[in-house]
Amino acid sequence: MKINEYVEEMFQSVPESDEKRSLLNELIMDAEEKAADLMAGGKVEEDAVNKALVELGDLSEIKLNLMNLKPPKASMTRLRNNLLYSVAGSLLIIALMLFINLYYSPHTVWFVYPVFAILWWPLSVLLIYLNRKDGGGR
Amino acid sequence: MAISAELIRGHLDAIILRLILEKDRYGYEIAKEIDRRSDHRLEIKEATLYAAIQRLERNRLIVSYSGQITHGRARKYYKPTPDGERYYREKADEWRRIKDIVDHLMEDERDENQ
Repeated sequence: MKINEYVEEMFQSVPESDEKRSLLNELIMDAEEKAADLMAGGKVEEDAVNKALVELGDLSEIKLNLMNLKPPKASMTRLRNNLLYSVAGSLLIIALMLFINLYYSPHTVWFVYPVFAILWWPLSVLLIYLNRKDGGGR
Repeated sequence: MAISAELIRGHLDAIILRLILEKDRYGYEIAKEIDRRSDHRLEIKEATLYAAIQRLERNRLIVSYSGQITHGRARKYYKPTPDGERYYREKADEWRRIKDIVDHLMEDERDENQ
C-alpha cells in the first residue's frame, strides 16, 4: 500500500498517459517484489519497504522521458492526417482535371501538366512525415 | 566496492540486451540477474534500468509485451528486436577490442614502473 502511494506521489507532476500507467505499474511491482525478497532475507516489513523504495533511485530521468514522450506522438497522428488529407485532396483535383480533359477536349491530353504541379502538395507532406518518422523518437 | 551506475552506463544497454537475448525477462528480473551475475558488485537501481529500457524501446532495439496477470497486475516482459540483437553483437565485439587495448596499455605502464 505504502509503495503504491509513494510511487504515485513521485510521478504526480507527470501528465497521465498509458506509458505513465504502465511504467508506474512496473515500478510498483518491482518494489513490491524487492520488499518481499528482503523480507524473505530476514528484514522486518517496514525496513524492507523503505529499502526497496530508496533503491528505486533517482527517478528524474525517466520522468523527463515520460513527459517528452507525449508531444511527438500526438504530432505524428496529426502529420499522418495531414498526409491523408493531401493525398485525398490531390486525388480529387486530379479526378476533376481528368474529367474536364476527357469531357471537353478528349483529343488533347493536357491534364498531366496540372497533375505534375499538384503532386508537389502530397509529396512535400510525405517528405515532412518521413523525416519526422525517422528522427522523431529521439 | 560497488561500481557506480555512471561508469557502467555506456554498457548497460548491451548488458540488458544480453540478458533478454537469453530469455524474455521483466524489469526486476533483469536488475536481480545483473546483481547476481556481478556477485553483488554492480547494483542497478530501477530508475537507471527503466531509463535504459525507455531508451532501448525508443530506438526500437527491444519490444515489450504483457505477461500473465498476478495479483491483478500484469508483468511487462522485454525481448530484443533483430536490430537489438545486431546492436548487442556490435557492442560485445567493441568491448572485447577496447578491453584488449586498455589491458595492454595498463600492463605496459605497470611494467615500466617496476
